[in-house]
Amino acid sequence: MAEIPDKFDAIVIGAGPAGSASAYYLATKGFKVLVLERGRSPGSKNVFGGRVYVAPLKEIFPDFEKSAPIHRWVTRERMSFMHGNELVSLDYEGNDHKSFTTYLSQLAAWMALKAESAGASIVSDITVTGLLKEGDKVIGIKAGNESVKADVVIDAEGVNRLVLESTGLVQALKPSQVALGVKEVVKVNPEVLANEFGLGEGEGMAWSLMGDVTSGLPGGGFIYTNKDSVSIGLVMLLDSAISGANDEVYKYVERLKTHPKLSKYFKDSRIMEYSAHLIPEDVSSLMPPRLAYDGLLISGDAAGFLLNLGYTYRGVDFAAYSGYLAGKAIEQAHGLGGMSAANLLVYTKLLDQSFIMKNLKRFSGTHKLMRNRRLFTAYPAMMASLMRHIYSLDYESQKMFNTVLGSAKENGMGPFTLLTDGIEVMRYL
Amino acid sequence: MMGLNIVLLFKYVPNTNTVNVDPNTGTLVREGVPSVVNPHDLDAAEFALELREKYGGKITAMIMAPPNATKGIEFLLGMGVDDGVLITDRAYGGADTLATSYVLAAGIKTLEHYDLIITGQETLDSSTAHIGAQLASWLKIPYVYYVTEASLDNGALVVNRQLESCTEKYKVKLPALITVLMHSHPPRPITLENKLRAVIKKPVMMLTNNELKLNIQCTGLRGSPTVVAKTEFVSKIPRKKEIIKDKSPQEAAAWLISKLKDEGFLN
Amino acid sequence: MSATEQRLEDILNNDIWDVDSNPHITVDSEKCKNCNTKPCIRLCPAGCYTMSEKTLVFSYEGCVECGTCRVVCPLEAIHWEFPKSGRGIYFRFS
Repeated sequence: MAEIPDKFDAIVIGAGPAGSASAYYLATKGFKVLVLERGRSPGSKNVFGGRVYVAPLKEIFPDFEKSAPIHRWVTRERMSFMHGNELVSLDYEGNDHKSFTTYLSQLAAWMALKAESAGASIVSDITVTGLLKEGDKVIGIKAGNESVKADVVIDAEGVNRLVLESTGLVQALKPSQVALGVKEVVKVNPEVLANEFGLGEGEGMAWSLMGDVTSGLPGGGFIYTNKDSVSIGLVMLLDSAISGANDEVYKYVERLKTHPKLSKYFKDSRIMEYSAHLIPEDVSSLMPPRLAYDGLLISGDAAGFLLNLGYTYRGVDFAAYSGYLAGKAIEQAHGLGGMSAANLLVYTKLLDQSFIMKNLKRFSGTHKLMRNRRLFTAYPAMMASLMRHIYSLDYESQKMFNTVLGSAKENGMGPFTLLTDGIEVMRYL
Repeated sequence: MMGLNIVLLFKYVPNTNTVNVDPNTGTLVREGVPSVVNPHDLDAAEFALELREKYGGKITAMIMAPPNATKGIEFLLGMGVDDGVLITDRAYGGADTLATSYVLAAGIKTLEHYDLIITGQETLDSSTAHIGAQLASWLKIPYVYYVTEASLDNGALVVNRQLESCTEKYKVKLPALITVLMHSHPPRPITLENKLRAVIKKPVMMLTNNELKLNIQCTGLRGSPTVVAKTEFVSKIPRKKEIIKDKSPQEAAAWLISKLKDEGFLN
Repeated sequence: MSATEQRLEDILNNDIWDVDSNPHITVDSEKCKNCNTKPCIRLCPAGCYTMSEKTLVFSYEGCVECGTCRVVCPLEAIHWEFPKSGRGIYFRFS
């Protein structure tokens, strides 16, 4: 029988995408890793929108495409603006396998299994409640009145950072920093996927919706097609929802699902699961002051690593890749002689060089853009009236330019507003 | 006597706090329903752990189930159970209670020594409460059910058995089998130390028919005389909510009875 | 069956929990009394917070563990933590 070590090389808090990616990397490099998961099994507490970008995951797990639970490759992207019963949509059909749909519960379970097969110990049913410290140095974790020691701890506890909060490394979340995502996974008839969504075998759709979906509140709706189900939900910035949501949030999802233009996609459907999750939004204010301390690295949602571009989200690949980089940083720090803050600083460097920080810096203004209410109210309305003027004709047709200006004016926007909003969108997106 | 050697029998059952019927097909939705240790067996586990604390000894969790039940053993080890035995073989699949107790009896006989078999009052998914009585019969040992308390007295076991209107006290010889009254012993939480031991040391033994060498005509589906003649789906009754206010308890009860009569639930 | 809006109770009925006997949510009713807006009622996706007469009542059993309540509570009256021993919500398709 194997012996229980007095001290692990590394302890990972949370068997989500970030935690399992780092555990997998470290285990393959021969480190003695312990992963502590608060759920009954890995994946049982994980929630996301519905789509994952594949490139970073292929780098972490070389055999990813062969055995990961990929439901459908996203071959069709759709962006819709909703105004009353009108829907203006933009469709893009590609053939690339850049992103796929899945259940995160399944994907996270798969990742944890990879880590376990590589030699990591995965212990579920255990909620980490704090960090074990010696002076400023983190030397392990606490779970209630028990503790385990390790040379380094990777905090991948997710967006609700109860461990980091208890240690005083971060403040409690503020409504302005996060968005609330609410989602239903709905079993649909296979014919609906083939006929209404127009999808072939293995083909998937990612659909984002703006406007009346959220009753004009900053945020948007999303629809993803899974193997034999559809994920439908919406995201609302929490501070706007506090002041602006007049109804209970689940009703917005139900309304979206039963919208006259969408209900055909949900004919004969049955809810399989209902879930909700907080989403890092204002990343720069959410990010802990440091990501590497003496004996501690922070990754995934806990570090605030999520990109919301309005039309798409990137969370799972960011989380997994940051966990992977945390693993690499530990490997390098080990080579340098130990898990001191100075040695672990390489984590920050690896992040800065990666697509994670490059993207987060490039799109650091989208958070401000999301505060422009017109994007969620006037513009969807304008898009609808523009299309109405162009297509919904009785006799006379209008010139396009006049139609644009006319539609803008109908929705309370003059040419100057259009111009400044246009510049703002160009700048931030 | 040097402590009690306890066998804790349990079942790994679908978590049926949600039983949903597909509105389109009228069939039970089983997809993705995770399994849990039968909650009533958790009372038994707690009971066993308390006895071990009092008298010392050892607890072995035992189950006849497909290999995924290892996760159930791991959960019980997390509570503090010492080791586990998983009895698994394709030839044991599809068993009713008779074929199950037959195999469990053989499994228990492989143990060097046991003083006490403890299990839950019944299972969440079938609620037959057969196993205790059948197994005690196979092993020819005393059996007491609905037990709430137990203590040792000169090598014998003194137990309290809770009935609706009274408590009975029995003194039985060991080895014996008891089933624990449901909800009588809320389970303790999982501890990190126990869970670490479970995951790293994996103190779980597997038994198959290679070891037990049972006649497979008496195990699994073939050894099961139970025939499910028919199952009926009772259509879901939509929930209604009415709040009763400003009524005395007597008035409220009378109101409730008349309401239930109106709905056809009472005659 | 065409898609019609469903009640929250029926939506939640599709989820699976292993409910802890110890609540992982507590509410400081003294602090809560002084809150006029009570955003938890509208924003808890699982409807864990409701008004009964003039006081807030909560149930922790159906919590989906998103953590929204502790973020939106303006008076920090809600204490929310993760359930222990692997209990609470068990997501399978999310």
